[in-house]
Amino acid sequence: MKRPTRIIAASAAAAAIALIAAGCSADGGTDSGGDVTLTFWGSYGNGGNSAQQDVLEKTLIPAFEKAHPGVTVKYLDVPYDDLLQKLTTSAAGDELPDLVRADLGWVPRFADLGVLVPLSTEMDDFQTLADATYPGVLATNLWKGEYYGLPLDTNTRVLISNPDALAAAGLDAPPATFEEFEAAAAKLDGTGVTLFADGGLGAWNLMPWIWSGGGDITDAEVTKASGYLDSAANVKTVQMLVDLYTEGQASSGLIGNEGAVSTSDGLPAGTYATILDGPWMTGIWAGQFSDFAPIYSPVPAGDGGSISVVGGEDIVLTTASKHQKEAMDFIRFTQSEEFQLALVPTGQLTVIQALGEKQIELDPKLEMFTRQLETARSRLAIPNASEVDTILNTELVPAFEGTVSVKEALASAAAKIDELLAS
Amino acid sequence: MTFSTLATGAAADAVAPAPRPRIRRRRLSATPYLFMLPGFVLFVVTVVYPIVQAVQMSLYDWRIIGSATSEFLGLDNYARALTDEHFWLSFGNTVFYLVATIPPQIVLGLLIALLLHARSPIRPLLRVLYYLPVVTSWVVVSLLFRFLFADQGLINWALGATGLTAGDTSWLGDRWTGMLAISALGVWKGIGWSMMIFLAALQGVPQSLIEAAIVDGANPWQRFRAVTLPAIRAAMAFVTVMLVIGAFNVFISVYLMTGGGPAGRTDVLLTYMYQLAFGELEFGYGSAIAVILTLIVLALSLAQLRLFRDRDGVTA
Repeated sequence: MKRPTRIIAASAAAAAIALIAAGCSADGGTDSGGDVTLTFWGSYGNGGNSAQQDVLEKTLIPAFEKAHPGVTVKYLDVPYDDLLQKLTTSAAGDELPDLVRADLGWVPRFADLGVLVPLSTEMDDFQTLADATYPGVLATNLWKGEYYGLPLDTNTRVLISNPDALAAAGLDAPPATFEEFEAAAAKLDGTGVTLFADGGLGAWNLMPWIWSGGGDITDAEVTKASGYLDSAANVKTVQMLVDLYTEGQASSGLIGNEGAVSTSDGLPAGTYATILDGPWMTGIWAGQFSDFAPIYSPVPAGDGGSISVVGGEDIVLTTASKHQKEAMDFIRFTQSEEFQLALVPTGQLTVIQALGEKQIELDPKLEMFTRQLETARSRLAIPNASEVDTILNTELVPAFEGTVSVKEALASAAAKIDELLAS
Repeated sequence: MTFSTLATGAAADAVAPAPRPRIRRRRLSATPYLFMLPGFVLFVVTVVYPIVQAVQMSLYDWRIIGSATSEFLGLDNYARALTDEHFWLSFGNTVFYLVATIPPQIVLGLLIALLLHARSPIRPLLRVLYYLPVVTSWVVVSLLFRFLFADQGLINWALGATGLTAGDTSWLGDRWTGMLAISALGVWKGIGWSMMIFLAALQGVPQSLIEAAIVDGANPWQRFRAVTLPAIRAAMAFVTVMLVIGAFNVFISVYLMTGGGPAGRTDVLLTYMYQLAFGELEFGYGSAIAVILTLIVLALSLAQLRLFRDRDGVTA
């Protein structure tokens, strides 16, 4: 009995080593006969959304390959939650693909690591391409004076309301200003409906309120948060959210309670009257809550107007790429009308400002998002942006619980962000 | 399969093998080593090398890119951990998990093993049922428990319906209730495993001793205390050591049930380490925490083995 087992084990181990060795040498993309293979990683198919991946693989990539004979594009779909880790380990192992569809928050991080090609110096027509995109989206590619990518697709958050829940507050239209928002909270008291829900206090959640309230997180040069994050305007804005929370008019998901009713369930169910969220929600509700007809409206306006936050992805070229010229051709292709509009019906917003109207024609539901994007701004484009989110969550939660004042919480968060910016 | 192999291993350890009779030294042969080589290479590449690398990284401000120079920090990363409030908070949560999960897993696991040891036609079925959570994916059960402990989850509904509480506890929205929910999952998922080890050990308790105790007039409790318990001491030591190691390695359930939140208050050492390494690219500091964790687990395991050995009066 023992001997065969050992032999099997030994051959299995030998096979495993052979596989590992093969895995190490198989990649690299050296091509013969002038044929070039570009590798492209992204998470278009995340969460089983085959619509986007299908358009990319069955329509767009073949179109590019037809126009560029001899160039093959190999797309690898990685679930969004795994992509950052995979990119990080691949960067460490010098195994990055030619092109990456990177979350816009990751560009400065990888640029700082030195694994991305600065497109603003390496592409002759960069300025022309960049000028066509929304400024707020383009800004996410900037790191130390150079642009390391171009916007690929974008999204933003708008106010989404449940009309029945609004009716409980005697409203026939969503609150358009901070004052109307607070007034709606007072009217909902005792109805069992919570005015507002969100899933945290990170920059993605908080910045629409901060900017619309007329404040910001740092100075324009991103060198200092003290004096900016703890400004009077921000104290007033965050105090409004804290008051809503204390009155039971903001969900506990805001302070990180993973057990709170989710925004995607709570809004259609009428538990929540309003949320801030992106264009993908339409698709989520279409299946589960097909009768739900939400109202899309701008982020409530404060002293700073109605300003939302930019999300989405950028396309970046890695220094590991051996086919920079061909990769840049693919980047140019992603900025074309053909590429941009093909993905609109799958819920991707175009990054090209001039295509906004055509986009609305293709999908009228995207109108509010397209309008909001015109003034939307990007979060801090720094390598350790995720630490800013951790700091905001950690420092602001005590203010919501009432153990420190809003002013103290913001000042303490600002001090920590100062340290981060100095390092 | 793995667990039952371990169990028999532990039981076999309890009965020390008789010393082998001396035989003539055999001719040295390369064959066995050649057979060992692939496995050994695999072990070195996938286990030894990463450990050595982690220790090395912990001494640097580690830059992950090969071409970048990492600054040598000596023991600075370790000193930083000792003054890092969040490290101690995560450590405290890990200890809470350890204290909250290990005694129930041992006591309940043993109790169920004793019940299942008795002959019964449905015994195989019950064994499978109790073992089922052990082989179920952590991801699946973590999500399941997240729903159970949600604000509008089954736990709150049951507590509210029976009038025990108002049914409005935000279990995952607070440090200690969150840790309690995570620990509840740990106990539920782990009982089957300790039960299986104890069950295997119980089968090794000499029937003759039990019968002798009955003849001496020992009641069931006395038989358990004086005969059964000493006989399964080795299994007890094994279970305790493995559970302590397991408790320090708790990650998936925390990551999926609370994400370390709210505001990082339910972070355990491994979620904090993961956040440092992959969230903030602090691989040096993250590795230092990993090494500290290893040292703690190593020290505790050695201490426990010694404790169990001394009480036995055996110097093996």
